[in-house]
Amino acid sequence: MDSSVYQVYEDEIQLLKEEIKLLSEKYEDIKQESTFFSDEEVLMSAKLFQREFLRERKGHTPPSDLTAELESLERDLSFLEKFTGIQITSHSKKTLEKTVNRTVRKHRLSGNCQSLPFCLEFQLLEVQNKENVSAAITDLSIIVESGLCSELSKFVSSTEERGNLLMFFRSFSSYAEWCKHRRCTFLHFKAKYPSIVILPEGQEGDHIILRNPQLPGFELMIVWKVHINEEGTTTPVLDLLPKVPEQVGEQKKAAIDNAPTCFRSMLLLFGIETAIENLIQVFSLEK
Amino acid sequence: MEEGRNSGEKETALGGRSLTATSQDGGGQISVVSLAQGKVEGGKVYSGDGVLGYLEMLEAQAHELGLKQEEKEQQEKKLNRLKAKVQELRTRRDELRAKVELQEKRLLDKEGVVTDPARPSAQTVLEWKVKSIKAMLQVFYLTGISGKLTKQGVCFCISTAYEGTYLDSYYVDLLIKPEVKIQRHSVPIFIPLEQIAKKYLQTDIRRFLSILSDHLNAYVGRRHQADQLEEHFSDRIEGTLQRNSLCNLLVFNYTVSSDNKTFPFNVRLLYGDLCCSLPTEAIISCTPGTLPLLARMAAAHSNTFRQMALHKAFDSVINAKESQH
Repeated sequence: MDSSVYQVYEDEIQLLKEEIKLLSEKYEDIKQESTFFSDEEVLMSAKLFQREFLRERKGHTPPSDLTAELESLERDLSFLEKFTGIQITSHSKKTLEKTVNRTVRKHRLSGNCQSLPFCLEFQLLEVQNKENVSAAITDLSIIVESGLCSELSKFVSSTEERGNLLMFFRSFSSYAEWCKHRRCTFLHFKAKYPSIVILPEGQEGDHIILRNPQLPGFELMIVWKVHINEEGTTTPVLDLLPKVPEQVGEQKKAAIDNAPTCFRSMLLLFGIETAIENLIQVFSLEK
Repeated sequence: MEEGRNSGEKETALGGRSLTATSQDGGGQISVVSLAQGKVEGGKVYSGDGVLGYLEMLEAQAHELGLKQEEKEQQEKKLNRLKAKVQELRTRRDELRAKVELQEKRLLDKEGVVTDPARPSAQTVLEWKVKSIKAMLQVFYLTGISGKLTKQGVCFCISTAYEGTYLDSYYVDLLIKPEVKIQRHSVPIFIPLEQIAKKYLQTDIRRFLSILSDHLNAYVGRRHQADQLEEHFSDRIEGTLQRNSLCNLLVFNYTVSSDNKTFPFNVRLLYGDLCCSLPTEAIISCTPGTLPLLARMAAAHSNTFRQMALHKAFDSVINAKESQH
């Protein structure tokens, strides 16, 4: 009897084993993706599990790895969230396609970046190569609150087009950090000089107004925008807009017209906080 | 006396029968004719050494036939085993198929969360949670900075991508006490890791990682563009693409045709900004270099190379139609 007879069966056995592996993985995937347990349920289960295991321990079974593993993973996740400022509030995925070499999963993700919310959907294609697994993003869809910031919308569309999820996160994080820094700085000056500094659009606004009660009608507006270009580079851009009442003489007017340029030089020399501090001090002393 | 060597009979019996035949003869006398002539059996000539020879031959026959029989049995057994295995696997596969189909149907019907009617065990819940957190950690990989806490600090993983494709990832293992120090890393030697660390590691780890990530992503992006150029346009490039390990200097040649004449162009791309994946300079030289038409083309090509990704720029450059002014 020649071996080709066996080969037919052995080939089929190999195929069936592969199919079975795929099907069981698919079954587990769907089970995982369609189940949900709340944090309370998880906590309760953890306590139950520990108790059960301690009871069965009797000195020879080692303590469960499962609760230790869970704790370690939760610590890692919590650290990453604090460190990067990216918090994931919900994550769901669905396996769309699974063969021996390719897996396509659709992900839905929402969270916030330094308290700026985002919502994403994308498909992740993973291909098994000889040495490693390669991953690529397709069908990326991003929703952020861009408000009046047209630049942010442009950046988001450009990123969606290129499927550049990594760059989105890096640039959006940077943008969010600048916004946070701006907010903290504004609040700091509001607290330090409550009678002079006004936040007309609250702490999330992009400008503050300086008003000296001794100089009615005279205002200085400090505008602080966070620019983000299509390549994802974020830069803060500050400017000074003085508002002067009509009665002011020509001499003073010249000095005031010069103010924005001086402010920009101060920014370059001393940085943002010091420049604003100096400006407020000069403003509050002026008669 | 039985000569009985019927080919139709069972071979296992043959040996026995022959021996019996000889013993029945009483004293081991075999047919005189066969004795005298020797025996030719199966192509082997046995010395007509009487009974012994004949016995030897029969024994050998029996042995051979026995072996063949055994082999046949083994083959049949193996075949049956394989058939049974196939059957078993087929059944298992069909069961799994049915299970998965039921799952999918349930999902469509309920459109959302499916909870097991039986109350899940504590272990099931915990296993689910572990998988769920691992999935979230994988998402952090996609954001560019992920990592694990270690006994002495943190091991960060910086992932890189060019547009939608994820490329290499690099790790930096940090010690936290007594001061922040890099214990181990997989950053290539041509990335200025020490300079960046010296400037930022002690004061702002986040900034350190961010800048390192910029360098790595830009490097990987440049390398990827060069690889794509080689992969897709090797037939349009004369010779080979030359590059340094940091991939911030690329040199290659291609030909441009105009008026049925071909001109060789040489491109030298310099990426002055290590955190950028577009060139800061694109120097195009051609021989002969004096024709104004060529100068115009060179300028246009230089612009294209500086504004677009390399493989896309090249595609645009070789497919551009020279417009006649």
